[in-house]
Amino acid sequence: MAHMEAPENTPVWVDEDRCKACDICVSVCPAGVLAMRPEPSSTLGAMVEIIEPDSCIGCNDCELNCPDFAIYVAEKSEYKFAKLTDEAKKRAQAIKDNNYRILSA
Amino acid sequence: MAYNYDKYLRLEKMPTLWCWGCGDGVILKSVIRAIEKCGWDQDDVCVVSGIGCSGRFSSYVDFNTVHTTHGRTVAFATGIKLANPDKHVICVAGDGDAMAIGGNHTIHGCRRNIDINMIMINNFIYGLTNSQTSPTTPQGMWTVSQKAGNIDPTFDACDVAIASGASFVARETMINPKKLEKVLVKGFQHRGFSFFDIMSNCHINLGRKNKMGTAMDNLEWIDKITMPKNKYDKLSEEEQLNLFPTGVLKHDENAREYCDMYQEVIAAQQGKRDKITQDDFEKKI
Repeated sequence: MAHMEAPENTPVWVDEDRCKACDICVSVCPAGVLAMRPEPSSTLGAMVEIIEPDSCIGCNDCELNCPDFAIYVAEKSEYKFAKLTDEAKKRAQAIKDNNYRILSA
Repeated sequence: MAYNYDKYLRLEKMPTLWCWGCGDGVILKSVIRAIEKCGWDQDDVCVVSGIGCSGRFSSYVDFNTVHTTHGRTVAFATGIKLANPDKHVICVAGDGDAMAIGGNHTIHGCRRNIDINMIMINNFIYGLTNSQTSPTTPQGMWTVSQKAGNIDPTFDACDVAIASGASFVARETMINPKKLEKVLVKGFQHRGFSFFDIMSNCHINLGRKNKMGTAMDNLEWIDKITMPKNKYDKLSEEEQLNLFPTGVLKHDENAREYCDMYQEVIAAQQGKRDKITQDDFEKKI
């Protein structure tokens, strides 16, 4: 049960053994924290990655909507979450438009 | 520390065998949270499931579980509940399980108003056996058994449950897990038959051939065909045609529960009261 404990100073973390790369968490994230990176060893060829942990607002939507018990969000007492900014919203939209894939710089 | 689902899971069975993005997982999580919110002890809960993707539900949760034969979830659950009236019984069935092969058990469970919480996971198709038409498949959709398009009229599961006499009937989708959890808690705490029609996605077996091949496309479609009940009631009949109302559709707290009535039978048999007559019931016919 180790992965239930929040790693230090981390708002959101993923159990990659359970993740099936369905894109749902990325689609519900309002702050563009998550995106899918290419991952040849995964069945669907992708794996979720936390690209902007500092933008996480702690809304818990990714955890609630994950069907595979794979993504976890820290409690509000454990981490100081950010406020939703316009930049984060724009990034979230850009990731969605990019078919949930990680944005290339 | 994130929410500890693992306490209620059989960890050796993880990860789940469901497809990526399957709504069953979201419903499983909501059920776990609802059970914890009700404050039920793990040993006091019995989860009964049938056959189908939803049948795997009972293998993943660490409660008392029974994986029963196809469609007979309510029959098994009725026996479990009558033998253990103080325990909480949760039935999980798919749309085929609950409405097709198990249709008569569902109807008679509702009629008896026995204190069972029945969760029907409605993904509009026979998913496990690869896309045959189910009673809830919308007309005109492609299925393996009706490749030219389904012509069978669609079942409204909640209407069936209401007509059969269930005292708590609700419809929710898995798009909003928080709302789903709230409705589940309400139904779990209700004494009597609670029927939930929970709409879920099957983008693999329904979506792929019906222009919604990803989980998100499928969820968007579910979002489009559902509407909260208070909004739905204000629409004209014509506008209501292609929509399902969501939320609590029926909540009758006064309906008599079957296990309570059965206690009367036991008392009568033991000579503690007179035989049951028609005078014991308000409704005589």
